[in-house]
Amino acid sequence: MRIGLLTEGGYPYVSGDARLWCDRLVRGLGRHEFDIYALSRSRRQEDEGRLELPPHVSRVRTAPLWTAEEDGAAYGRRARRRFVESYGELAGVLCAGPAADGADGPDGSGAEPGHMADRFGSALYGLAELARDEGGLVGALRSDTAVRTLERACRAPGALGTAREARVPDLLAVAAHLERALRPLSLDWYGDDGLGAADLCHATAGGTAALPGLLARHFSDVPLLVTEYGVPLRSHYLASGPDTATPVVRALLAAFHGRLTAEVYGRAAIITPGNAHARRWQERCGADRARIRTVHPGMEASRFTEVGEAPDRADPDTLVWVGRIEPSKDLVSLLHAFAEVRREAPKARLRVLGAPAGPEGEAYLGHCKALAAQLFPDEAEGVHAVGDNPVAFEEIGGPEAPTLAHAYASGAVVVLSSVVEGFPVGLVEAMFCGRATVSTDVGAVVEAIGGTGLVVPPRNPRALAEACVALLRDPERRERLGAAARARALELFTIEQNITAFHGIYLEIVSHCPVRRVVLSAAGEPLPFAVPAEAHIPVRWTGPTARVVARGGPGWASAAANRPAPVRATPLAAAEGPL
Amino acid sequence: MNGGEDGATGAAPGELDRPGQPGGADAWDARSQEWLLGTEEDASGDPFSRGESPVSAGVAPEIRAAAVKDTAADSRGTIPRRGGADPVKVLMHRHRVLCERAVDPLEIAAGLEAHGVTDRAAVRFRHRDVFSLAEELYARVPREAGPRPEPAPAPRVRADWVLLTLLPGAVCAAVVTGVRLTEGRPRLLVAVAGVLAVALAVRPALRRGPLAPARALAWRTATGARVWTCWLLAYALFGNGLLRTVADGGPDGLPTGAAYGPWPVTVAPVLALTLACAPAAWSAHLLTAAARRRLAGSRGLEEFTAAVQPLLLGVFVLFLSALTALLALCGAALGEPAGCPEALALGALLLLARLLTVHHVTQGPAQALAAAAAAEAAAMALVLAGRLPGCAFLAVPVDALVDAWGAGSVPAVVCGVAALALLIRATRTLTRASAHAPTGDPE
Repeated sequence: MRIGLLTEGGYPYVSGDARLWCDRLVRGLGRHEFDIYALSRSRRQEDEGRLELPPHVSRVRTAPLWTAEEDGAAYGRRARRRFVESYGELAGVLCAGPAADGADGPDGSGAEPGHMADRFGSALYGLAELARDEGGLVGALRSDTAVRTLERACRAPGALGTAREARVPDLLAVAAHLERALRPLSLDWYGDDGLGAADLCHATAGGTAALPGLLARHFSDVPLLVTEYGVPLRSHYLASGPDTATPVVRALLAAFHGRLTAEVYGRAAIITPGNAHARRWQERCGADRARIRTVHPGMEASRFTEVGEAPDRADPDTLVWVGRIEPSKDLVSLLHAFAEVRREAPKARLRVLGAPAGPEGEAYLGHCKALAAQLFPDEAEGVHAVGDNPVAFEEIGGPEAPTLAHAYASGAVVVLSSVVEGFPVGLVEAMFCGRATVSTDVGAVVEAIGGTGLVVPPRNPRALAEACVALLRDPERRERLGAAARARALELFTIEQNITAFHGIYLEIVSHCPVRRVVLSAAGEPLPFAVPAEAHIPVRWTGPTARVVARGGPGWASAAANRPAPVRATPLAAAEGPL
Repeated sequence: MNGGEDGATGAAPGELDRPGQPGGADAWDARSQEWLLGTEEDASGDPFSRGESPVSAGVAPEIRAAAVKDTAADSRGTIPRRGGADPVKVLMHRHRVLCERAVDPLEIAAGLEAHGVTDRAAVRFRHRDVFSLAEELYARVPREAGPRPEPAPAPRVRADWVLLTLLPGAVCAAVVTGVRLTEGRPRLLVAVAGVLAVALAVRPALRRGPLAPARALAWRTATGARVWTCWLLAYALFGNGLLRTVADGGPDGLPTGAAYGPWPVTVAPVLALTLACAPAAWSAHLLTAAARRRLAGSRGLEEFTAAVQPLLLGVFVLFLSALTALLALCGAALGEPAGCPEALALGALLLLARLLTVHHVTQGPAQALAAAAAAEAAAMALVLAGRLPGCAFLAVPVDALVDAWGAGSVPAVVCGVAALALLIRATRTLTRASAHAPTGDPE
């Protein structure tokens, strides 16, 4: 299969988001061909270079999102009318209010819920078709026509109350933002030599990254798979706080991103959230529950194998906290909890391992150190020994904890005290190490830990302390929980399960999509099963005389079928076995 | 985490989430006593500080036992926390700014989640999930616009560009003085070096300050405009003299740099135009700053256009008067005819072309400059072609013009027409709001 991997500010750039996951995915699925379509987020990102790509990545196409040149094409009257129609439709939908509100428009506007989504879709594809036919979309989106169309939509009857108050700077800001967001429409990726030739588009994030996938689906019926480890819509809301722009601008942009997200979810064949939290947002934004498959992120398990398999040699009174030190980790709560633990278990010690994140984190670390020094006086074994504090702040890589695995192994119980958390990577690492854990109920913690650790509410030091004491006093239970946690992590959070899941989803999507290329035999009869879904297979499927009738130009099918010799034999074990 | 919700305490964005930093040595005692006794203040607390039991939200089976135990301990030992009939009210108060200024319920949901409110916490507020809780908050809190963010600051007058725009005029004046004071070969050297120096001085003046385009221009457009501008300036320097001598049967020699001779050179207009870099920059600055101010205040695009139109014309007239004064001054100082009409037309053409380019109108300026240059070249070529046998009729229109109005009338007419075309284009494009949109892609 030829897979078009769509990224935005990520793989294959050295500084990209989620590049590790993408790299593992591409390397792990060596029997498919990958084309990478990458949108870069800044000049710096482009200058920093790209990762080395495996040989089955046949092509990389990149485009900048941070800048756009006008190609100077001026529209004639008909093209301008097409632009005004589509853009006016788009603006009209945005002015009617946010998408995920349930009802469309503030007063329900009497339309059925799907009506606005349809209008948004047709406007978007109208602009994309205009860009494909005539070019010059960047200039048109920047032009006065666009601003005037936007103003008309804001003043139209039925528009949101907020939108009616739009002033000229607001209109300009919205138009500029839309121009930036719609830059992927002007790309030349959608022809039969580009995404049109792919069998599947895999967008590694929602929002802008999935926009090329939407267009490929519109132009060439390429099925779209969307993977979201974060929720772009939520990030948009958090990034565009009340102080960043006027309410009008924020309302219109929120509507745009909501609509775009809904459109992506509506058109995607399969949506794979990384955790239940992302899934809830997707369902809320209109994703069909039947098309959602949660695929947990995979993590490198081998570096924790030694620690996880070995018998517990940790000091039975030590609690360990591992992570980046920042205010959202709530170490203060942890210290208060530890003070309470010390009342019950006077020999307990706490190791806080990690580096501060940024200047804010450093200030926070300073506060925590001061608090620890005040709460716990230094202690010594006897009158003649030099004492030290029961709370130790260390960094990974120091003599006490040379590696991450050693850090986890040094504690009987691993504690997580965050108030805000996405996917708790540290917790899963502790699970791989076979540690008993106590964590706060935030983010995807409950989902990750299942029943294999203790969970307490956030900002509740007393509950945290009680759970820690319970585990410190019960080595057998610790062992039981640790073993269960490791088993769970190996089942759910390994790289292999992640890649296997995507492998299955790719095949599932292709099996549900109509065959777009028919291979004909010498007699002109169609050959069923002539086009295997996996390109690199060690057997010969069709005779050398088979002809390919490709609707979509050169694809993997023609390449596989026309090759006279059997294609490159890949040892099955290498592809199937642990990677 | 983004936020800045805590209007009551006026905390900075992101501040609220920071779990209470220790204030002093007694941090543990004070807080732990509060925790144990449950006398914490309502407003400073968190959703988990009230309600039946702090642990009941736990889902994992392991914690159920602990929860039961904890509840038992609570009912035995501590005073029950204040619950209240309307738990959402406390939340509303705590996240008031977020709720007041949210544009839709999802924004509140995102903000709540960023502050650690999970679905299980929403159950406490008798809601199925954070989304329905956010919807209730969105419905109950009246919207408030909050202060409008500051408009983009108007460009300021900065010493660097003010000085840089004075530089071309100063260099040109020095070069003219040098040429006047020398003779023969040194004069040629001074003139060549002077042309280079003036070109180098003009470059930074157009790269910084109000005459610099906001977006980088395409290389072709920029080079084209540069070449045509140089040609027009060269014509202003040598063209009139050449045309006159050609009409009289010359030229009999190369220009000597003097205003009177076989090929007279008109220095005054060029000197005045280089000196006019400063008024041009000020005009562009005035236009940009005033338009930015009008932009912030306008409610509609029509209103903005109506406000900017007189502004544009005013700035244009201001520049023309400054250029006229400079021309008169240079003419008097150099003892030459000032060549007022053609220099004014050329100045107007160059200013308008630059203004359009600065406000990213790419179609028009380069074409107008090219057309003007071509027309001047054509006039010269026609006069020369008229010398060929049988082609005398080609030179008739130009000769008639020169005879009636003088040699300066050719560039005056040509540049005047081009400038008029650009003026019409400017009144249509520079009065649009999109021409004054703050640009700059974040890189």
